[in-house]
Amino acid sequence: MSNIRFEQIEGKSLGFYTLIIGLGILILAALGSVYYVEHYGHFVTGMNNRIVWGMPHVFALFLIVAASGALNLASIYSVFNKKLYKPLSRLSGLVALSLLAGGLMVLVLDLGRIDRLIVAMTEYNFKSIFAWNIILYNGFFVVVAIYLWMMFERRMNKFSHKVGLVAFSWRLILTTGTGSIFGFLVARQAYDAVIMAPMFVIMSFSFGLASFILILMASYKWTNRPLGDIIVNRLRNLLGVFVAAVMYFVAVYHLGNLYLAENTGIENFILFDGGIYTKLFWYGQIILGGIVPIGLIYHPITKGDRSMLGLSSVLIIIGGFVQLYVIIIGGQAYPMELFPGKEVLEGYGDIAQYLVSLPEIFLGIGGIALAMIIVTFLVKFLAFLPESLEDDLADSYHKG
Amino acid sequence: MNKTLNRRDFIKIMNATTGVAIVASGITLTTFASVSEIPVTNKKRWGLLINTNKLTETDIDGMINACKQEQGWGTEIHSTASQKPAWIKKLKVKDKATNKVSSLALMCQHCEEPPCVDVCPTNASMKREDGIVLVDKHLCIGCRYCMMACPYDARSFVHETLNNQKEHMPRGKGTVEACTMCVHKVDKDETPACVESVNSEAVIFGNLYDESSQINRTLRVIQSSQIRADLNLNTGVRYSGI
Amino acid sequence: MNRFLVVFLSLFVSSVFAYIDEYVNLGEQASSIKLSGKVFHKNPSIIRKMHPEFLRHKRDKTLRQGIRTNEYSLKGCVSCHANKNKINNQYYSVDKKGQFCSDCHKKVGVSFDCFSCHRTVPREDLL
Repeated sequence: MSNIRFEQIEGKSLGFYTLIIGLGILILAALGSVYYVEHYGHFVTGMNNRIVWGMPHVFALFLIVAASGALNLASIYSVFNKKLYKPLSRLSGLVALSLLAGGLMVLVLDLGRIDRLIVAMTEYNFKSIFAWNIILYNGFFVVVAIYLWMMFERRMNKFSHKVGLVAFSWRLILTTGTGSIFGFLVARQAYDAVIMAPMFVIMSFSFGLASFILILMASYKWTNRPLGDIIVNRLRNLLGVFVAAVMYFVAVYHLGNLYLAENTGIENFILFDGGIYTKLFWYGQIILGGIVPIGLIYHPITKGDRSMLGLSSVLIIIGGFVQLYVIIIGGQAYPMELFPGKEVLEGYGDIAQYLVSLPEIFLGIGGIALAMIIVTFLVKFLAFLPESLEDDLADSYHKG
Repeated sequence: MNKTLNRRDFIKIMNATTGVAIVASGITLTTFASVSEIPVTNKKRWGLLINTNKLTETDIDGMINACKQEQGWGTEIHSTASQKPAWIKKLKVKDKATNKVSSLALMCQHCEEPPCVDVCPTNASMKREDGIVLVDKHLCIGCRYCMMACPYDARSFVHETLNNQKEHMPRGKGTVEACTMCVHKVDKDETPACVESVNSEAVIFGNLYDESSQINRTLRVIQSSQIRADLNLNTGVRYSGI
Repeated sequence: MNRFLVVFLSLFVSSVFAYIDEYVNLGEQASSIKLSGKVFHKNPSIIRKMHPEFLRHKRDKTLRQGIRTNEYSLKGCVSCHANKNKINNQYYSVDKKGQFCSDCHKKVGVSFDCFSCHRTVPREDLL
C-alpha cells in the first residue's frame, strides 16, 4: 500500500524560473505598496472611517479561509481513512500552510502600525475573538508542520492519523474563529449572525478545494506527470457538493435575515437595491461563482472535461472573492441602525462610498503570489508530489 | 502587635525603602501641581446628558469646534471627508411617526460594556475604572476591529502623518482615536470642552453615581434614553427629547 | 558552556553603561538649570539607563489610572530638553536631527517611538 513514490520536481526549466521571477515581482510590488501606504498613511487607500476594512481584508480572508479548506484532502485520508486521498495529503498540507502564510501577510501588512506587530504577539485580550484568531493561526502553522513531518518521516507515519485528527479539529475551530470575527459584531446588522461561523467553514471547503485542484492540475501538467481520471473525478464531485453547500448556507443566511425586521434594510440593500453590491451578489457570487460551476461540474457534456473543471475552480475562486467583497465591504457600506423608528436625515446614514486603490490590490495579489511561491519552492526541495497519480495506481491505493 | 520581624517582612521593607531611594534620587526638582496621585475608582462614573429639546444646531457646531480646538483634530490636509477624524458629529433625526426632527451630538457613548474593548486584540481599547473609554495608543496596532464593533460609528482612524499635536492629546498616524470625554480635564476637576461651550443647560456633565450631582438629579426626574439601548451596553452618554 | 557565560555576561554588563556625552546638546531649559548650578536629576546615570522604564510606568499610570503628576512626565522631558531656533524663536522638535532625544538615541542605535504621537515641542503658551 505504501508504494506511493513521492518525488521532488526538477525545477530547472525555463518555465519554473519564469514562474518564480513573475511571482517575485508581484511580491515586490506588494511590499512597495505597503511601504507607500505606511509612509504616507492610509489616506492613499480607498479605505476610510466607514469602510474600515477594504480590499486587503477581502484577499486576506479569502486566503485564510481557503487555507483551512485546502487541508481537507489530507483530513479525508487520515481522519476518514479514505486511502484514495493519501497521495494528495502532503500537497494538501503544503497548500494549506502557504495559503495561510499569504493571507496573514496581507492581513498584517495592512495594519496601521506594522512596526508594532510584536505587541500583537505579546499583549493578548482573551475576550477578543481577534486575539484568539492570532493564536489559532500561529497554532495552525505548528500543527500542520508537525502533521507534515509525521507524513514525511517513515518512523512517524504511525502517528499521522492522530495528528491528522488534531489538525482537522484545529482547522474547524480556526475557520469558526474567522467567521466569528464577523458573527460576533453585534452592532452591525450585516454581521450579527451565528450562522457566519458555519458558513465560513463551508466556504473554506469550497474555496480551499478549488485552489487545491488548480494547483494540483497545474503542477502535474507542468511537470509532465500523469494524473489519472479517478482522482480528478473524485475531486470534481466533492467540489460540486461543496459549492452547492455554500449556496445553501447563503440562502439560509439571507432568508433568516429577511425575517428580522431589524435587518430588512441591509437585506434589501444587498439583494435588491444596493447598486454595485447587488450586481456583485447576483452576477458574481450566485451566477458566476455558484450556478455556472455547478452546471459545469454536473452537466453531462462538460462533466468529463478536465479544462472545464479548471474553469469551474477559477470561477469558484472568483465567486469566493466576490462573496467576501459583498460580505465585508457591502456589509460596512450600509449604515448601522442607530435610531430604530427614526430616520437619520443628516450626519450619518448614507451609503458609505469605497473606491478601491491600486496599493490595496497589489498587496492582495502579493499575498496570493507569496502562497504560490512557497508551494513552487517547496515542491522542488521536498517530496510533496507523487511521481504518478495514474488510474491504476490510484485504484491500488484505493483498494490497498 | 507582633514586633518580631521575619525574613519575608524584612525583605519587603528593604525593597520598599530601596525603591523609594532610587525613585527619589532620580528627580529632586519636581513641581507639584494640584493633581491626584490616587488611581481613579469605580465609585464614580462620568456621564453626559444631552437634552435635544434645548440643544440648538448652533450649540452642536460650537461643541464640535470646541472639541477640535481642545483636542487638535480636524486640521488634516490629505484625508478625504470620510477619512478625516470625527470625534463628535452632528446628526439630524426624524421620527417616522410624528415627523419631529431633532438634532443631536453623537460621540463615543462611553459604554459600561464597550464592544470596542471586548474585540481589541491587544488591550489598547480600554475602559478606566470611572467609565471613560479610551484608546491606549501605545498598544494600538491599527487593526480597526474596534471601529467595526462600535455601534455608534464613534471612532476614527488617523489616515495621515500628524504633527504639532496638543501636549495632552497624543495622536498619530495608524492608530484609532475617539472622544476621551476630555479625560485630561476631568482629572483636574474640570468639565469637557464641548460641555463648556454650550451656554444653556442642554448638555450636563457629571458623576452619574453621585446623588447630589446635577446629572443624577436630572436623570431621576426626566425621561431619558440611550442610543441602541437594545444592545444593553449601558452608555455613559444619555439623551433626552428623542 | 563557559564561553557562552562570558559572552552573556559581557553583553549584560555592557548594556548597563548608557551613553554619556559631556558635550551633548542638553536643550534650552536644561542647559540653564545646569549653568545655574542647580541639580534636576540627582543621578543622571539612572535616568540615562532607566528612563524608558520610568516613562512606560508613568504612561500606564496616567492613561489607565488618571494619575497626572509631573514626575517622569514626557511633557517635562520635552519642555526642558527642547532647543529654540534663535532666528525665528521657534522650538526645534526633540526628535529631529541634532536634538537631544534623537542625538543620543542615534549614537546608541536605539529607535524610539514616542514622537509618532506625542508633541515634539513644548506647549503652545511656552512659545
